[in-house]
Amino acid sequence: MSKKTTLEKFIGVWNTKTIVGVAIGAALFGVLMNFGSIRIFTNTSLTTAMVVPVIVGGLFGPLPAAVAAGVGNVIADLISGSGFWFDWSIGNAFLGLFIGALPLYGAYIEDGIFEVKHMIIYAILCVIGCGISFGLVTPFFTYLWYGGELTITLYQSVVGSISNIIVLLVIGIPVLKVLASRNSRGRNLKAE
Amino acid sequence: MNNFIINLIPGKTFLHQLSGTTKVRLFFVLIVYLIMSFDLRLILPVFILGIIGLISLRPKLKSVRYIIIFVVVMNLVNILLYYLANPHLGMLYFGHETIWFQFNDYYIVTYEEVWFLLSRFLKMIASFLISLDFILAITPSEFAAGLYSCKVPYKICTIVEMAFRYIPDIARDYQNIKVSMQARGVELDPKKTGLLKRIKQNILILIPLVITSFDRIGNISNAMDLRGFGKGKKRSYYAEHEETPNDKKVKIVYILLGLFVVGYIIGRIFFNVSEVWYPF
Repeated sequence: MSKKTTLEKFIGVWNTKTIVGVAIGAALFGVLMNFGSIRIFTNTSLTTAMVVPVIVGGLFGPLPAAVAAGVGNVIADLISGSGFWFDWSIGNAFLGLFIGALPLYGAYIEDGIFEVKHMIIYAILCVIGCGISFGLVTPFFTYLWYGGELTITLYQSVVGSISNIIVLLVIGIPVLKVLASRNSRGRNLKAE
Repeated sequence: MNNFIINLIPGKTFLHQLSGTTKVRLFFVLIVYLIMSFDLRLILPVFILGIIGLISLRPKLKSVRYIIIFVVVMNLVNILLYYLANPHLGMLYFGHETIWFQFNDYYIVTYEEVWFLLSRFLKMIASFLISLDFILAITPSEFAAGLYSCKVPYKICTIVEMAFRYIPDIARDYQNIKVSMQARGVELDPKKTGLLKRIKQNILILIPLVITSFDRIGNISNAMDLRGFGKGKKRSYYAEHEETPNDKKVKIVYILLGLFVVGYIIGRIFFNVSEVWYPF
């Protein structure tokens, strides 16, 4: 763990490893969005895909997580064929910034650090992130690009936020825990 | 699962033979064109062109038929839910309603509503056809080359390209994990299990899938580093070829279409051009 400023942690290091990680994250996001999801409302589904940006964020930082979520959503649209909804892609990318912010408050999945206080911060950020991205960002772009008819977007936002929060908390925390414990070997060693 | 969707070898038909730049730019213009309007006069030509394009690409009928049926049914369900969420869209868009018949005070069916939902349905199907054509016609490398020609940084292009190349691998891993889970006695048949159990089983597949996928990052990135990825400021693409006469013809089409799109959007913002069209 080298010392970095918050901004550096936010942007992440854009080396080859990060690029590959983001690409794989985007592909996983696209596949899970289409095959690992259960539809509950128009264009809204309970999907395990939302966990992927969290992991990308845990490994590489918030901005890579956002790119993975955004590109992943566009890919999901492209292979599922339910039309293009870039307002939702941007909303998801924005959500990626929040849920992928694990390194900013000291949860390093790669080094196996994910404790109770990190879980609490993560949960709060999930709720705030869903609120901001689906309550403000997505409706704003919907209004800008598709005009009018905000009622349905708002219904979708509420349903989408709730289902995402459920997925992020109920599935996300155990997955992060598993990944952290998998990487935790060598944590208690000291340099002599 | 979806091994037909992404093709890695360019085909022989007209659309396949275009260069990556042309395909990507034409696709972007058409997508913006479809997003900007609910006007049936504008949607219908693209819808028909999409069908012609799909036939000209000569896809494997069996697999494409399955996905088309799936998407049409999904969109019909979406339209129905749309109606249930707000049955007065006709009023919102056209400013008047003519009642056809009514279920109760709130749920009425108006001609305007039906017209709007029809436009919306065709718009969705048209954009599905366009993206299906695009996916069938392009290879991941051409996609990256096309994006790069639109001044997207090449690291982002690489992300998109790799994500596309990686999807079949993930689909295969997903199948393998599912089969090995079934061999261990996990019931994965959707007919025999309820919603909650299905969610649980999704997690059982998710964790190994995530771990195997992210474990490969090291291998792939080392291989790329060894080949000098990311050293230069620019890069060129092997998949990109010189403009053919066909490319030049299509170029004229997409430039004209792009100008029309810009004009229409300016008209929408400043001159109050309606985004819907209702002839009656």
